Amino acid sequence: MNIPSVDKISDLYQKGLSRRNFLAGAGATGAATVLAGCGGYNPAMTTTVTTTAYTDADILNFALNLEYLEAEFYLRCATGSGLSVADAGGSTAGTVTGGAQVTGLTSAQQNILNEIAYDEQQHVRFLRSALGASAVARPNIDLTNSFNALASAAGIGSTFNPYANFDAFITGAFVFEDVGVTAYAGAAPLISAAGVTAGYLAAAAGIMAVEAYHAAYIRTYLTAQAIASASYPYLGYANKVSALRATLGGGNETTLTVPTGTGPFITTIPTPSAIVAATTTNAIAFARTTDQVMHIVYGSAGAGAGYGAGVKSGAFFPNGLNGKIAATLS
Amino acid sequence: MATQETQVLDNIIASRRALLVGGGAALAALAIAKPAAAASTVTAYTDNDILNFALNLEYLEANFYYLAAFGTNISTSNSLYPTGAGVLGITGTGTQGTVVTKATTCKVPFTTLQIASYCVETAIEEGKHVAFLRTALGSKAVAQPQIDLVNSFNALASLAGIGPAFDPFASDATFLIGAYIFEDVGVTAYHGAAPLITDKTMILPAAAGILAVEAYHAGLVRTSINALDPTGSLGLLGYTQKISAVRTGAAQSAATGTKVVDDFGLQTQTVSLGGGANVTATTIVDADPTNVVAFSRTTTQVLNIVTGGNATTSGAAAKGVFFPNGLNGLFS
Repeated sequence: MNIPSVDKISDLYQKGLSRRNFLAGAGATGAATVLAGCGGYNPAMTTTVTTTAYTDADILNFALNLEYLEAEFYLRCATGSGLSVADAGGSTAGTVTGGAQVTGLTSAQQNILNEIAYDEQQHVRFLRSALGASAVARPNIDLTNSFNALASAAGIGSTFNPYANFDAFITGAFVFEDVGVTAYAGAAPLISAAGVTAGYLAAAAGIMAVEAYHAAYIRTYLTAQAIASASYPYLGYANKVSALRATLGGGNETTLTVPTGTGPFITTIPTPSAIVAATTTNAIAFARTTDQVMHIVYGSAGAGAGYGAGVKSGAFFPNGLNGKIAATLS
Repeated sequence: MATQETQVLDNIIASRRALLVGGGAALAALAIAKPAAAASTVTAYTDNDILNFALNLEYLEANFYYLAAFGTNISTSNSLYPTGAGVLGITGTGTQGTVVTKATTCKVPFTTLQIASYCVETAIEEGKHVAFLRTALGSKAVAQPQIDLVNSFNALASLAGIGPAFDPFASDATFLIGAYIFEDVGVTAYHGAAPLITDKTMILPAAAGILAVEAYHAGLVRTSINALDPTGSLGLLGYTQKISAVRTGAAQSAATGTKVVDDFGLQTQTVSLGGGANVTATTIVDADPTNVVAFSRTTTQVLNIVTGGNATTSGAAAKGVFFPNGLNGLFS
């Protein structure tokens, strides 16, 4: 009975446009420079552009940059090597600094690491396949100085080596996964009506779910270890990372807790865990704008300058992201 | 722009087709991909119908976790309620039902702090989903339908080959298996529903956010089962595989196109990293093994799982297993 009419699709498209403006971040609704109309890639986009219109391909390429980062991190942790040249975009791919195999793992730990590495590698392949010739190549990625800068900014210490052991690796992984969830949650509603029909939205939602599975693994592991040992330091490190992400990424964080209580719980209950990162009111996972995500992966506050509009590189991406969504507009 | 966008769309569609068959036989999938894509945009249901479908599932989940954590259902007061939990409304349109439980308390005698705390957290969150959806729907919210948490688990256990009876409220381990039954299904249900939603300003972000929370829960449950029985010697991994097999059977019997495996229990898999040698990996994530995008199910497929294979594509009302009198709302 409610077969969508042309009007409805048009309406959806209009909504899509307004949501794309939302990408620019709250308040940045100045003069729009429409770049998408010509389909051209514009590497010269400057901070004077306050509002722009992004295509679905721009949004998926934004996600692809994040998947490159995750894949390189996990693959190097698992095997010592990163993406194949073909998966990274061939000869135009950027370099990767740092990253090392995490050694001394139990087979169970290695299997977990292998799974997440595989998942992220396949996300890169899937997005590259979906984007075809429009796919951006891997940007320059830093997996050493980035963690040190992050540790310093978060108050963990002057350096942090996520490759030292399994728990350090998990803490490194913690940096990424909840952010991945919020990035996809924020991006999914931006996809155009045509993109919904084509399956973009379903793909983004499905990848978001996988990131949440990963995030849950990491948060569950940290919580279980903290319960088992009162002196376990990594949950505290993760919460410092979480606090930094909140500063850079507009809040949108749930602090991990160490549940208390003594079993068996026949007539009592323990205090709850905080595995899920979601709003307190409705238990709905957080969503972030592309600007908020970029501030996190660029480590804006750690860089010490330009926190706001115009941040276009830093931390994990020393030369910035590839693609049209690369500089913060707010 | 048209050229670029058209090409991207073609690539996406081709990729989605490949997904449906697990890669390789892309040509064989061409025939089924188009109707699947069309179903994403042409629907006879409103956003409220979709939210009410979700509300039925949230009533089920919330009652399960409330009973496991606190020993009472969601509409009953309990002095144990921590911050964030409380008596929830269950009235609304359709026929209001009760929750069938075993004669003795459903409060799980948890011995492990972490599993007990996970249960309390999840109860709070699923309860909030019920409250959120009821608020969003207002007077259009459906009532809680009749829910069965006794015969349902026994029937599923029998169907899965686990045994003639199964009590998810008996222990830490059985609770996790009970939770396992729901969470991955929640992921596929919200995933399937998301593209059907027309209001992408308010409703879609909420649905996407709940989808992510269900995936967090699913990841939590699968991680916990894996940690409790890392080698499978306790039989828990085998249970998850059997339950996943039942879910995929019920979902695929209601599929309109090519049948695919859309559910994986906890097991080891073989993967290739960086083009190198094969290595073994866990399956904490329940997703298609090629693109590692979480599975998606139609409302009919989800209905078929929660009602035990009684849903048909012809639109007949489905009832049974967890919903002995069927669901409330248009999706039934």
